[in-house]
Amino acid sequence: MKLKNTHLLVILAILSITFSCKPKETEVEFSAGDVDATRFVSIGGLSTSGFMDDALYAEGQENSLGAILSEQFKLIGGGNFNQALMPVSSDGNNVLGFSRYVLNFKTDCLGVTSLSPVRAASSGDVAGFSINNYSASVPFHNFGIPYLKSTQFNSPSVSNPYYDRMASNPGSSTVKDDILLCNPTFFSLFTGMDEVLEYAKNGASMGSLTPVYGAAGIGFIGSVNDLLLDLTSNGARGVISNIPDVTTAPFFTTIPFDGLTLDAEKAQTLNDIYNPIGIFFQVGKNAFMIEDPAAGAFGVRQMVEGELILLSVPLDSLKCNKMGSVFPFRNEFILTNAELTEIRNTITEYNAALVNLGINYNLALVDSYTFFNQLKTGIVYNGIAINAKFVSGGAYSLDGLTLNPRGNALLANEFITSINQKYKSTIPKIDATKYRGVIFP
Amino acid sequence: MIQKPLLTLFIFLTSQLAFSQGFQVNFQGQKQQGMGGAGTALPLDGASLFFNPGSSSFLKENSVNLAMTPTFARSLYVDANTNQSARTNSPMGTPFSVYAVYRKSAESKLFFGIAAYTPFGSTVQWEDEWMGRFALTRLELKSIFIQPTISYKITDKIGLGAGFVYCTGNVNLQKDLPVMDASGTYGHAELAGKANGFGVNAGIFIQATEKIGIGLTYRSQVNMSVSNGQATFTVPSSLVANFPNGSFSSSLPLPQVVTLGLSYKPSDKLSFALDINYVGWKAYDTLAFDYETNTTSLIDTKSVRSYENIFAFRGGANYEFTEKIAARLGMAYGISPVQDGYVTPETPDANRINFTAGISYKVGKHFTVDASVFFTHVKRTDTNIETNLSGTYTTNVVAPGLAVIYRF
Repeated sequence: MKLKNTHLLVILAILSITFSCKPKETEVEFSAGDVDATRFVSIGGLSTSGFMDDALYAEGQENSLGAILSEQFKLIGGGNFNQALMPVSSDGNNVLGFSRYVLNFKTDCLGVTSLSPVRAASSGDVAGFSINNYSASVPFHNFGIPYLKSTQFNSPSVSNPYYDRMASNPGSSTVKDDILLCNPTFFSLFTGMDEVLEYAKNGASMGSLTPVYGAAGIGFIGSVNDLLLDLTSNGARGVISNIPDVTTAPFFTTIPFDGLTLDAEKAQTLNDIYNPIGIFFQVGKNAFMIEDPAAGAFGVRQMVEGELILLSVPLDSLKCNKMGSVFPFRNEFILTNAELTEIRNTITEYNAALVNLGINYNLALVDSYTFFNQLKTGIVYNGIAINAKFVSGGAYSLDGLTLNPRGNALLANEFITSINQKYKSTIPKIDATKYRGVIFP
Repeated sequence: MIQKPLLTLFIFLTSQLAFSQGFQVNFQGQKQQGMGGAGTALPLDGASLFFNPGSSSFLKENSVNLAMTPTFARSLYVDANTNQSARTNSPMGTPFSVYAVYRKSAESKLFFGIAAYTPFGSTVQWEDEWMGRFALTRLELKSIFIQPTISYKITDKIGLGAGFVYCTGNVNLQKDLPVMDASGTYGHAELAGKANGFGVNAGIFIQATEKIGIGLTYRSQVNMSVSNGQATFTVPSSLVANFPNGSFSSSLPLPQVVTLGLSYKPSDKLSFALDINYVGWKAYDTLAFDYETNTTSLIDTKSVRSYENIFAFRGGANYEFTEKIAARLGMAYGISPVQDGYVTPETPDANRINFTAGISYKVGKHFTVDASVFFTHVKRTDTNIETNLSGTYTTNVVAPGLAVIYRF
């Protein structure tokens, strides 16, 4: 018996050494606080729709701001988050009938091959836009609708193919109707970017910015207020975000204003053309030429620091056909300082209004304006350097305007921080390393 | 029947382990391990070549000492932001030591010794796809110190000793790169290289009275420099030119240690030992990698480590039950050299208390078997200022050790 006891001791000793050494993890209960996420809806525009890489496609939608938030809400009793998903196998579509971008090699007019966004398919999944996916029994929760302005929340005559895909009654229902059909218990509202984005990405050459004041359907404050009034009337609570300075996106910042690099011969050619109107070029870096009706008799001038060239500019024309030099950039490809001032002043006014609305309706407030500025400066997340540079920055999708899944995860964490602060909940943040950035071939 | 005492020993695995502070590993002698890692003023066996070369000349016998301390370290990381957790599945550590001490005759005042031991090193392997994968996935650091030594008993009360240290080692650091290919696989970087360096280990031992011993040692800093390491990158094919495989150079300082030791023998059977280490971790200021070929994606890196010099206190007792059996208990307290903001997944370090125990059993005329066991629990919450990785690391270390000594 004595021997047996010794054996038992030996076994116990070995077992305890082998297993006792694993640190124990304490179970954590996540608190919902005052958040009832049973029926959560995400409301907004392009940046909350899941649109990325210049198209609406299933993977992007599955990584939309609302979809990511809803995953975390499930930890505190949140329900399903249904979206009008594009077909999983399709390469998506946008309003112009193009598929999503992927990164691949492309040879430019100079014969130089480099990585560049190219279309994943020769045309978009147009069929994916012709079907209405609405089902009364499975209502949608993602009301992020690309290019939907706040003034269109309650307009039945929105000509928006992204809404038509999910409308309860295309042509007569309104976005607000459909939101209220969901009877939401919690909502996120990230609106205002689309009032600015289309105007900015067209170089402030067409359309106009939604006025700050005016009744619902005309002014920004009135329209957002109208939606919030109905949303909160049944006791729903929510989170509202201010909007970023959209011109921090790589679509606006990738091509430098002084990226016109000249050798002696080319500088001489331009000097021959422009010296008579008082514009001089040198060997090396020069500011690009742009059209500007306000720039004296000839309506052309050089760009000045701070002005932006948009990624919509035809790059081959720039590189090989003297665009931006002999042929100045047209207004649609640039934002002048005067145009930027108009856009940024409007954003400031919208943001003041959004903060006031958030306070009036007792909502959690997200400071996306600051988040996107930090992204422009550059952040480090769990060892990954992330910034707003095109492709290499890792946060924006290949259209340079919308975030990629990782960018959305980081933005969603800003929402969670604000929600936890306001509603005394303890929703954990998202591990953004689990969400992809840009995919390289 | 020999087997049974061996097994019994294993149960009480007593040892001195100080897996401690930075990537220092204090498993250089089973008897000392049993006493919290103290032994600078208490020459017990050949391990004195490491603990205090000056005290080796007070040994009463020639001996050869072989020891191994299998080390089981398990870390848990709980991310402060996401509450997601990750664990290490590091392989068993295998610190070992070999000591041989020899003098011509019992009257000789001069001892010759040779020692080989592993005072620095660790292998940390984090689970796949953990949230810190872009900071570190695996670090393997190995070093072997080889130390020929002379110890001379100047008087009946004073011994001096010094050894030349040659150090050879290798390092292998791996992490994922945040560039993903179409299959969803992230890139990976592996930096591997061999390093070597030189140093000294010198000490003085004073048997002040029959009961009181004093020791003072100096182990110099050893700069392990990697001059021709190999950097291997696995990245999406379109980025191969951005991450060229090639050589790199780097260096890692293994810090100097000054130790003051005291021993007290109230009776023939009982002895106490106390060591105070002062470790020059301040030398580990920056971990830099200089790549032979730089690109816009692959730039030389300098990661600030900003370690601080630290103290560690080690103490223990040895009790000889019979001529054949001795048992030991010990404790150590170590201050972490890692400042707040600099805790990394390589060395999730913190102030710590170590608990140790040990036992010796003499087998026949010539053999002694020593065993020891070490346990420590380390917990540290930090936000790293370089990676922004923010969470709590909990590490448990258990290390049973065994030595076989041949005396002649």
